[in-house]
Amino acid sequence: MELNEFVENFAEQFDDTDASEIKAETVFKELEEWSSLIALSVIAMVDEEYDVTIKGDDIRNSSTIEDLFNIVKSKA
Amino acid sequence: MAFLSISNVAIKGMSACVPSCIEENKDVPLYTPEEAEKVIETTGVERKHIVTDSQTACDLCFRACEELLEKLSWERDSIDLICNVTQTSDYINHPNVFVLHEKLGLKNDCMSLDLYHGCPGWVVGLSTVVSLMSHGSIKRALLLDGDNISSLQYGQDREGRPLFGDCGTATALEYDESASPMYFQTGTNSKDGEALIRKKGGFRQPYTLEEYQQEIGMRSGELSTDGIEDLMDGMSVFSFGISTPPKSIKQLCEHFGLSLDKVDKLVLHQANKFMVQKIAKKLKVELDRVPFSLRDYGNTTSASIPLTIVSQCANEYSTRPMKTLACGFGTGLSWASVYFETSGVVCPEVVEI
Repeated sequence: MELNEFVENFAEQFDDTDASEIKAETVFKELEEWSSLIALSVIAMVDEEYDVTIKGDDIRNSSTIEDLFNIVKSKA
Repeated sequence: MAFLSISNVAIKGMSACVPSCIEENKDVPLYTPEEAEKVIETTGVERKHIVTDSQTACDLCFRACEELLEKLSWERDSIDLICNVTQTSDYINHPNVFVLHEKLGLKNDCMSLDLYHGCPGWVVGLSTVVSLMSHGSIKRALLLDGDNISSLQYGQDREGRPLFGDCGTATALEYDESASPMYFQTGTNSKDGEALIRKKGGFRQPYTLEEYQQEIGMRSGELSTDGIEDLMDGMSVFSFGISTPPKSIKQLCEHFGLSLDKVDKLVLHQANKFMVQKIAKKLKVELDRVPFSLRDYGNTTSASIPLTIVSQCANEYSTRPMKTLACGFGTGLSWASVYFETSGVVCPEVVEI
């Protein structure tokens, strides 16, 4: 599982935020466009792309995109 | 694995009743117009019917049932079993089923059963009622199901308020040796149950006077829900919803040798549009076989499967044989899938009171 690819997949869930603003070390909940609806898109993306079920706590306990990547990787 | 195959029972009629009071999501004062548009797009809910002060699910179920009995021309004395499924009972002590038995004027020689259940409730209730009927001594049964779930919502809850609507439904069942068997698969994942739980106000955690005042204030919308732990964990419910129901449906099909391609309707609990679409996509079922009642009714908890059939597909169900696969999921967390075949179900139009 590639971190770069995960970051790209993560960035695709945003409509108004430029992909260049979204990096592995980005604290995603501080992005202006972040919302509970985007969180659902991220959960669906992880389910589709990685066949991994993440829960609300996994999102809440992640600060950066890399944190979430590591959780997904550990469950894959 | 909880698989059931139950023979000799047919669904003869289905009906639904909603309150006439409507709340439009575009008018909910919690959002900017742009936010409201986004919420409507994702949830699929434009409006929902909500009870006014004097109404409960019991009234809605009663009215739905009256309508159905009349259209079926069933004598009240022919009913041998009545089952009610709700999580919003009229009274603290005295299940709704007794209120309904009395209001409907059913005979004394009639079994009454009340199930406390959430969104999978209609399927769980159906599995229970048809199991009891399959023995042959109960000839006719009524399954009444629904909640006034809006009464439990908080006015300032941005996640819950746009979603939930109220509905009561009635399903009429008859012993019929020519009926095709119904197939069920049910399951429970209680370790993740915290995602959908309301703890305060029951016997384990009774309200203090202060908490009670806060609860009333939050329900009326005067008080904010900031810092409240009893709210739905929408993210966890969502991840459960897109992963477990598709598995349950696939298991049901595998176990009983059913093909999803041959199913006329895949009726999914109307959690929200995003979730229902994801489940359908995972099962590779095209959306023209997946009816939605979310737009005008919202998430109507356990009533959502019968309401979706009655409000969206009444013409098909009342005029031709139909093969249905339905799945309810939520509270527990738990789920229940069912496959059933019908031939000409009496489906009166949705009643408003």
